[in-house]
Amino acid sequence: MVIDKNTKKELIELFKTKNIGLEGNIVKLINADGDEEFAAYLKQCSEKDVATRRKRLEMTKQVQTQNAELTKLNGENQRMMEELQETLSNVENAKLTFEAQNIELNEWKQENIRLTDKLQDEMLKSEQARLAAENAKNEAENNLDMIQKKTQFELINNIVRVALYVIIGVGCITTGIYVYSMTIGMDTDIIGSTWSNMFGILLTNSFSIVGTILGVKYGTSPNKEEK
Amino acid sequence: MIDSILLVDDEDLFHLVFEDSCSLLDITLSLKSLNSADEAVKLFADWQKDPTNRPECVFVDLNIIGSSFDGIELIRKINFEYGNHVVIGIISSSNEPDEQAKAVQAGAQFWIIKSDEIEPRLEEFKKDYEGFKNRTQPFKVYK
Repeated sequence: MVIDKNTKKELIELFKTKNIGLEGNIVKLINADGDEEFAAYLKQCSEKDVATRRKRLEMTKQVQTQNAELTKLNGENQRMMEELQETLSNVENAKLTFEAQNIELNEWKQENIRLTDKLQDEMLKSEQARLAAENAKNEAENNLDMIQKKTQFELINNIVRVALYVIIGVGCITTGIYVYSMTIGMDTDIIGSTWSNMFGILLTNSFSIVGTILGVKYGTSPNKEEK
Repeated sequence: MIDSILLVDDEDLFHLVFEDSCSLLDITLSLKSLNSADEAVKLFADWQKDPTNRPECVFVDLNIIGSSFDGIELIRKINFEYGNHVVIGIISSSNEPDEQAKAVQAGAQFWIIKSDEIEPRLEEFKKDYEGFKNRTQPFKVYK
């Protein structure tokens, strides 16, 4: 590419006064066409362009490196966030599991309390039944004892009554025979001594019977220690 | 010097790096940068009808985020669907031999590892460029 003289002059003037020169690959395409001053101008523009490009290249590389580091850090951050999210999710799941287990344990606890209460009620009922049975047993034993005593007492009463009847009967008969014998004037020596002996025996036997009865009564009394 | 270059890369910052590096190394005076493989395919479809302004060399990123397909598929499409008339290769931070083998199958001629120091690799590529253009230079990885 060849540029006319006036344009060359204007371009050189612009570079000298305002430091504004041609940039980019266009500089490489312009031919100085034997103009040494313009060739120097193109060389200066080219050097300036190279310096600018080199500077921009270094900066771009720095930005690229920083960008790569940021991308790497972002990836690491993302990974950590995912791990954190996963951990949180696991904790949440563990919490839910724990809560479910807690609810189940509470249900078991309530069931246990209910069963314990029921068991205590049953134990109480059982104790009451045991006491009732014991009372019934004691009552039955008392009733049996009373029946036995009553039977004994009735037997003793009958024995005593019969014995007394026998004693009174024998006494009355003997006394009557003895009185009749004296009335009709019969010999009363034998019958008199017999009557006194027999009367003595009857009295002795009577006291013996009474004593035996009292003894039996005392021996069979449940409150004999108090007595 | 390469007549014209097309760069297909989703990273805008790399566009600047590549442009400045090419300018400083006098690799080309005409550089066009695209963000997506879909745009590139559309342009190549147009250039198939009218090859005016078609680039001489194409640099393709391996993973072009936001595109319908990756760089290897783009190379395959450019080579086999739109005519094999350009020097084409991958420019990527990846150095996977499996991917490189796939790229060769798709018709890639070079693989430039993208890093902070891209200029020495581009300079080496510039030296080999005529071989790529004449199809005499075999596939090469610039590490």
